[in-house]
Amino acid sequence: MISAELRLGAVSYHPRVVTIWERFRTYFADAGVPTDYLLFSNYERLVDAVLEGTVDIGWNTNTAYVALDHRAAGGTQILGMRDVDLDWATVLVMPKGKSIDSVTELDGRVLALGSRDSGHAAILPLHYMAKEGLDAQERCRLLRFDTDLGKHGDTGDSELHVVRAVAAGEAEAGALSDVYFSAFRAEGVPEVADLQVVWRSPTYYHCNFTVLDSLDRELSERWSQALLAMEFDDPSLRSAMELEGVRRWYRGDRDGYASLTAAMREQSMLT
Amino acid sequence: MSSAREQEPAYRVDAEQLELGGGLEVLLAAALERVTPGGVLEIRTPSRAVALELPGWARTTGHELIGDAADHGAHVVRIRRGASARVLAAPLPDHGEPPVLRDGELHTADWRGGQLPPDPDPGAGFAPLGAVPEAGAPRHHWQLSGRDALWADDVGELVEQASAQQWDASRDVPWAAARDLDRTTEKAVAQVMTFLAQNEYAALYVPARFLPQINPQLVELVLWLGSHIHDEARHIEVFTKRSLIGGQHGYALASTELSLHTLLDEHDFTASSLLLNVLGEGTFLDLLRFIELHAPDAATAAAAKLAHRDERRHVHFGISNIRRATSFDPDLAPSLVAAAEARAAKLVSLSGLSPLLVESLTVMAAASLQPAELAEAAADIRTLTETMESNRVRRLRACGFSATTAQHLSDLHTPNLM
Repeated sequence: MISAELRLGAVSYHPRVVTIWERFRTYFADAGVPTDYLLFSNYERLVDAVLEGTVDIGWNTNTAYVALDHRAAGGTQILGMRDVDLDWATVLVMPKGKSIDSVTELDGRVLALGSRDSGHAAILPLHYMAKEGLDAQERCRLLRFDTDLGKHGDTGDSELHVVRAVAAGEAEAGALSDVYFSAFRAEGVPEVADLQVVWRSPTYYHCNFTVLDSLDRELSERWSQALLAMEFDDPSLRSAMELEGVRRWYRGDRDGYASLTAAMREQSMLT
Repeated sequence: MSSAREQEPAYRVDAEQLELGGGLEVLLAAALERVTPGGVLEIRTPSRAVALELPGWARTTGHELIGDAADHGAHVVRIRRGASARVLAAPLPDHGEPPVLRDGELHTADWRGGQLPPDPDPGAGFAPLGAVPEAGAPRHHWQLSGRDALWADDVGELVEQASAQQWDASRDVPWAAARDLDRTTEKAVAQVMTFLAQNEYAALYVPARFLPQINPQLVELVLWLGSHIHDEARHIEVFTKRSLIGGQHGYALASTELSLHTLLDEHDFTASSLLLNVLGEGTFLDLLRFIELHAPDAATAAAAKLAHRDERRHVHFGISNIRRATSFDPDLAPSLVAAAEARAAKLVSLSGLSPLLVESLTVMAAASLQPAELAEAAADIRTLTETMESNRVRRLRACGFSATTAQHLSDLHTPNLM
């Protein structure tokens, strides 16, 4: 067994998480920063584990990061994030032939949302729509698909329900992440063929690797440097990086979490 | 980042009415081929929905949205091509010289332009001839990978012949002609056919065991062994059908089984070329020719003739393979002799071809129990034995063995013939 300098916590939203972290574990050992991983069934447990010191690094969704940072009173550091995490966006989809020029046109309509703990499929759509003049919680009938709660939308399952509901006419419009909509399109999910994007949110950050301020800086810096050195064109890494949905790692920062922090406050999710 | 926003597009594409999920991805992939990593592709679309969806598409495919503007009622989306390679391999080679045609036919022997295959990487995969393999694929560990121990110079031509000479054991044999033999003759034929079919199983199992060990970069060998296996499957089929059609049955003899068992014991490719292709199938060539000439009915003659045509190719491959392998490895010939000696040692209990089979061959050739016909048939079988012996030595000489060694190997050959 490799003696690990760091313990990383991740959520097992899919069996592929094991494949990914088995490969990355070997990578970090080879890179001189032996890192073991622990899997959790939900992000709330992962956040607890970071705060309690059971793990040193949390591979967090944006919702988990904002909750962790709030509970740590801002005493966290971000060690890295994926290229896709820097420009995440939520889209509203409607059946082809129907569209809106403004989200206010959805006043009084049925709006499908993903899991209520998903930043991209529930929390941020409500936030951004409110900023554009529609308090959807008050003015729309929300059709929520709270599947896989605790996974913060990682499984994509609630978003699949969203597109199916819109395609079936059970909701006038539905909110989901642009990445999942593109993935459903690429996978040939039949319902997606009848849908189009009618609105797109400003971009925001998604996942990141978070540590508490108390972690040794020299150690966390070595880990970050190893992460950033991963090459998508390295044949031994490509498959695991494709599964993780990353082509290049970035250091990242806090800037892209302001909207979610505000949204979670508005929706009484930070107490 | 700001300089990228001002970067002039390397390529522009008008999507017209195309949508994502409806063919736009294909147009974009082709357009991005014309843009180097870091360069900008400009996409013009009349659809707001497409413009809203393109950023998500760009990000999931490894590119970056750098601008979205309106222009005379159209949407102009600019994306910067990502740096990662789609396929982890060197670029495909430029258009090369295609293989030549022979009277409009593309022959397997010509697809390498007359060149030998390179000695392959033992871990290579199933990349077809001409393909560029992508890095990152799992490695294989082919047991049979050294070109010079496995190759035969005319293997491409043999593959060509094997394809051209396919036949159908249900339709290419006049089965009705086998229905009217007297019981004695038919019983003899059934025994001979049972013997042939029993031997053909081993002739199938030996190459079948080698096939999945062959490096697929030696593709002609893969095709060759595939054809060899297919040939033997048809031989099992045709001789089994001939034994069944007359309503009589034969014995699957233990002595034959012992001989074939020792054939399967041999795990070396070239030693099996010697024992199966050259010695076994070579000897069967003479036997099949004898059966064709002395068959009491047209069905038996046709089955023997069709099988003979295939076995000639198999013998040819064996001789060609051994001649080439021994020329590259001077230590190989003694080890091949040792393999034949080891097999012979296991067959000391066999003193000659089974009397039951000799009797059956004689009755089949005589087509009666009349003394005059039996005497003539017995003489023909003595001639057959001599022919088998002299042809075996001739084939061994063609493999490159000295006269003395060829005689020694022929003497060691199994009395079971295969």
